[in-house]
Amino acid sequence: MSRPPVRYWQPPGETVERLAESRATGALHGEAGTVHLADGWVVHVESDKALGLAGLLTASGRVPAEVWQETVRTSGPDCRVGRALLEQGRLTRGELEICHLGALYDAAFFVLCARSTMTWFEPGARHWLGPVRRVSARTLRRESVRRRDVLERIWPWPQLDSSPVVPVPAGHRLSGPRTRVPAPNRRQRELLAHADGRRTPGDLARLLGRSAFSTTVDVRRLAAAGLVATPFGTAPAPGLAAAPHGPGPGPGPDGAAEPAGPPPASPLDADTVEITLAGLERRVPGAALAAVPGGLAAARRRAEPRPSRRPTHAAAQPLSVNDPDIALLHRVRTALEARL
Amino acid sequence: MPGIDECLSQAMEIAGARGASLIDWSSGLALGAAGDSPNGDHEAVAAEATDLLRAAADSPTFADENDVRIPLQDIIVTGGRSYHLFCFVSTVFDSRLALHLWLDRADGNLAGARYRLQALAEELVLA
Repeated sequence: MSRPPVRYWQPPGETVERLAESRATGALHGEAGTVHLADGWVVHVESDKALGLAGLLTASGRVPAEVWQETVRTSGPDCRVGRALLEQGRLTRGELEICHLGALYDAAFFVLCARSTMTWFEPGARHWLGPVRRVSARTLRRESVRRRDVLERIWPWPQLDSSPVVPVPAGHRLSGPRTRVPAPNRRQRELLAHADGRRTPGDLARLLGRSAFSTTVDVRRLAAAGLVATPFGTAPAPGLAAAPHGPGPGPGPDGAAEPAGPPPASPLDADTVEITLAGLERRVPGAALAAVPGGLAAARRRAEPRPSRRPTHAAAQPLSVNDPDIALLHRVRTALEARL
Repeated sequence: MPGIDECLSQAMEIAGARGASLIDWSSGLALGAAGDSPNGDHEAVAAEATDLLRAAADSPTFADENDVRIPLQDIIVTGGRSYHLFCFVSTVFDSRLALHLWLDRADGNLAGARYRLQALAEELVLA
């Protein structure tokens, strides 16, 4: 806390690796969350887009919420919440490690794949959880890239991950090459039952006490199966897509997810390979435009006539002065001021 | 109360064990690994096993959908010289996990290994 925060302008995955090489200890704050390092190892990751350790354990009833809060209150200042939970016999070490790693990789996927490359490192900061498991920065980045590729192979529309989940009524489902898909499993049926056209995959994960990544996977699978509308042609900014809005240019009011043009020839094409090699940074053209306050409608209009093929992604664009992440800058400033 | 590493090192004590890992089959990640793997890469094994586990666990034919906690107990793949045991791990919180044991057919005992792996899976997540 004594040293001032350090600012970085490169993909968060690269920044984490650089900090790890210098055996750093502290917290790297980014657009979508925070990576906690201790002696160059990643010891915890948190994101507001993914249910954390607390959410997973309390939502399932594994640890009562009041017990959790009390443990954080008493053991948090000493950074030994994890150890305290084990000592109380609340959890087995296996459970704590599994839940911790699950939450860590889930959050890392969102933090490392964030649209904004701006991050702040707070040297010396330690997480209240204390040591549980640690992973290398390289493993964290590789796993995040792998997860993104997994999603890409299922159904290459990243907009689905942050847009409201809109179930397609039975009468309007597409018939086509992808209709021979297995019926939704129990988890997916539960997701569909709770998808009200406003909740995003993140909202649904939180509501059902589920891993954010596995919920994202389920939503992409449901979209690939034609049970959830794919927002063809739209490229909403991740931050704004969570806000409920009327039927977008993709799924019509009747819920039919018919694309304006031909569907993609293959979920995997040359772009995918190129993107993988280029690293984690990925921008959806038009996404930044959509983030301009008041410019959403204009951006949508511009986005509308684009072919319905999945958007081509440009890798690693340098952050320009026009980047309109004003809300993010405000949030980061507020967070930093709160810690000074 | 074993953690992931202790659980896997105990799995490696099973007669004929050649490799063991804990697979998160919601993402295809190996949360931990011990010993060898058939292709020298535990992560590749986890990714490939994920497709197999998901196909079986999501199948209305093979899995009991009415059993929310553990719709499927294990999967055994028999090769010419080895077995692959996948024992599903049931946690109270949301997760999709399986313990994988790569077992030598000549040195191992399938029934004994299956029984032991089941016990390890239970110890891992229950006090």
